[in-house]
Amino acid sequence: MSNFQLLNPEEHKNLRVIVEHGADLGDAVRVVQTFPFEFRSVQGHFPIFLQKTPDTGEFQCVALLGFEEGENLFLNEQGWASSYIPLMIQRQPFLIGFQANPESDEKKPVVTIDMDNPKVSSDQGERLFLEHGGQSEYLKAAIARLEYIHQGHLHGTEFAKHIVDLGLVEAFTLDVTLENGSANQLLGFYTINEDALKQLTGDQFAALNEKGYLQPLFMILASHSCIGDLARLKGEKLSKQS
Amino acid sequence: MRKNIRKIVVVGGGTAGWLTAGLLASRFDRSEQEVSVTLVESPDVPIIGVGEGTWPSMRTTLQTIGVSESDFFNQCDASFKQGSKFVGWESGGDDYYYHPFSLPEGYSEVNLADHWQIHKDKVSFANAVGVQSLMCERGLAPKQITTPEYAFNLNYGYHLDAGKFASFLSAHCIDKLGVEHVLANVGKVSNDEDGYITQLDCDTGEVIIGDFFIDCTGFHAKLIEGHFGIEKIQLSDVLFNDSALAVQVPHPEESSAIESCTLGTAQSSGWIWDIALPTRRGVGYVHSSDFISEDAASEELYQYLVKSGCAVQRHEFSPRKISFSPNKRKTFWVNNCVAIGLSAGFVEPLEASALVMVETAAKFVREHLPSNKGALSPIARRYNAMMNRHWREIVDFLKLHYVLTKRTEEYWQAHLQPSGIPDSLRENLELWKIATPWLLDTPHIDALFPAASYQYVLYGMHHDTRLEPEWLVPEQKKQADILFQQNIEKARGLSTALPTNRDLLKKVRQYGFQSI
Repeated sequence: MSNFQLLNPEEHKNLRVIVEHGADLGDAVRVVQTFPFEFRSVQGHFPIFLQKTPDTGEFQCVALLGFEEGENLFLNEQGWASSYIPLMIQRQPFLIGFQANPESDEKKPVVTIDMDNPKVSSDQGERLFLEHGGQSEYLKAAIARLEYIHQGHLHGTEFAKHIVDLGLVEAFTLDVTLENGSANQLLGFYTINEDALKQLTGDQFAALNEKGYLQPLFMILASHSCIGDLARLKGEKLSKQS
Repeated sequence: MRKNIRKIVVVGGGTAGWLTAGLLASRFDRSEQEVSVTLVESPDVPIIGVGEGTWPSMRTTLQTIGVSESDFFNQCDASFKQGSKFVGWESGGDDYYYHPFSLPEGYSEVNLADHWQIHKDKVSFANAVGVQSLMCERGLAPKQITTPEYAFNLNYGYHLDAGKFASFLSAHCIDKLGVEHVLANVGKVSNDEDGYITQLDCDTGEVIIGDFFIDCTGFHAKLIEGHFGIEKIQLSDVLFNDSALAVQVPHPEESSAIESCTLGTAQSSGWIWDIALPTRRGVGYVHSSDFISEDAASEELYQYLVKSGCAVQRHEFSPRKISFSPNKRKTFWVNNCVAIGLSAGFVEPLEASALVMVETAAKFVREHLPSNKGALSPIARRYNAMMNRHWREIVDFLKLHYVLTKRTEEYWQAHLQPSGIPDSLRENLELWKIATPWLLDTPHIDALFPAASYQYVLYGMHHDTRLEPEWLVPEQKKQADILFQQNIEKARGLSTALPTNRDLLKKVRQYGFQSI
């Protein structure tokens, strides 16, 4: 469970955050949300798909990290095994919250922290606040990351809506057979329909390009070469277990 | 005379008119502009607008005419309908049963009604053969927000605001499908020497020339009766409800559950429909004026509302009265004119057969209207035969709801009079004393009500079928036991996966369904 609190220098004065990664630090997740802004970094390591948000049905982009629930194949004893770590993993244990503004309908973004996240500590990791007040460099970077994520979320939702409306998105089932013969089937994922992409008119391509959607679109396709890497990692994990 | 059919004219702008216009206009390629659809509507005649329940077929209809389901939900104040729940029909107490839209599990392979008989003291028929009745009882929706539009976990139709639905369809037909809209009262109807309608003269001075005419003028029956003089066949010896008192009331509380079944609660001299929309309920007492006065019926309706938690004041309670005579046309399609909707006939709102008959009729015209008038008469003959059969099916199936009652009021006893029971139904009832309804009881592929519907009503009303256990096929018994077990597991899974009907409707308003 999570227990989000509004971050404040009084109450959280002595709080620290562990910056390492591990299954026991809450990083054992099979999928993580990703944003077109970071596709360039993500696509070389993880396959990118679209998935529906259970709560709203809206599409979001996700990076696939494993094949089973709670399986992150990029975690090992040393920590995280790839050179890039998705923003939504890096952001832990912080999250943007929204505070109602009594004077207007707009909700104000605020920084919250999940006090039940295993990365939150009193004696290990990076300090959030300096001894004599003020934010630590670590916290400043974390807040900048949250702002980036907030923009990325809005942009990503628009991106997904645009390509769904263009008929470029289709459901698919990923069947992966590993070297040991075990079959893994992934349901509920969507990807780009390449045939539909080829059918787009010049104007539609121009519109995609103008919005900055063309590059991420092709990066999704390029990222699929990582499915093989993921299967290899899974194979290695299985052979270690046996 | 011009032989080609190029201009289709729909007369009447209620739900029937716009649905028909939409189904026809969406069939033709708009860019070709070869065939046009015109709808002429009187600015003075209000729509009847109490048809607020649909069958699952409406999903296909809306999809066919190219409507976004999310827009439909939000603009028509629509909700999910998963079937009907009948209360008090058997004994007048708290007895109830469901007629859900989902067929029994494994319906194409095994008749679960046979194998349910030995379990009938432990579990209701609907709960044993499927999960939908249980999900309705728990207030759950038939799908999730992540389910694409028109797709489902459990089969569904809609509850909707009939007035808003007609406006929504009209805007869609005019803006998206290119239907030409004329606001005028139709006066003189002219025909050629063969009796084919050629033109309509409007009170605005406008003259509408056409090749094919559809009478959607409701009870006015402007063309089929007014012009062609086709008589009505009375059905009141079988189904004798002739009046309804209707009201719209708010939900008791803002968080009240929104029922996803049409509630049909038996009363002393008829039954009360209760249809829940996201913002209000539509409630009405269908009754027979031969058995109850308007005042007494109004009092029963009032008591029902109070009992259901509605804060309504007696002194300001004035339901709208609707009178009708249960009948159908002798013929529905004459020359180049077909009557669709109330102009074709109406019996009563039980089982919401009105809109599905409009869909069935319009779909037939959409698929079979020939390009040349010379081919109209064989098509008309087939259409009339099909519609007559559908009306027989409706009359039989609706009557079935009444003839299994143990209620003692005069009205209910009158339903048991042998003279009012059609021979076809009587014969089936004899058969169903020793056999359960099955595929050959409804042999037409396009039957309105499948054998499953008869099963839901018969066994919901605790009809006794004396099936001999030795008569069951052993392999099928095994298969049935597996299906019964699977239903229990499916119910468990769906109970946690499905949101409440109210929660899902709120999300549809906020986010809409995805198209994929």
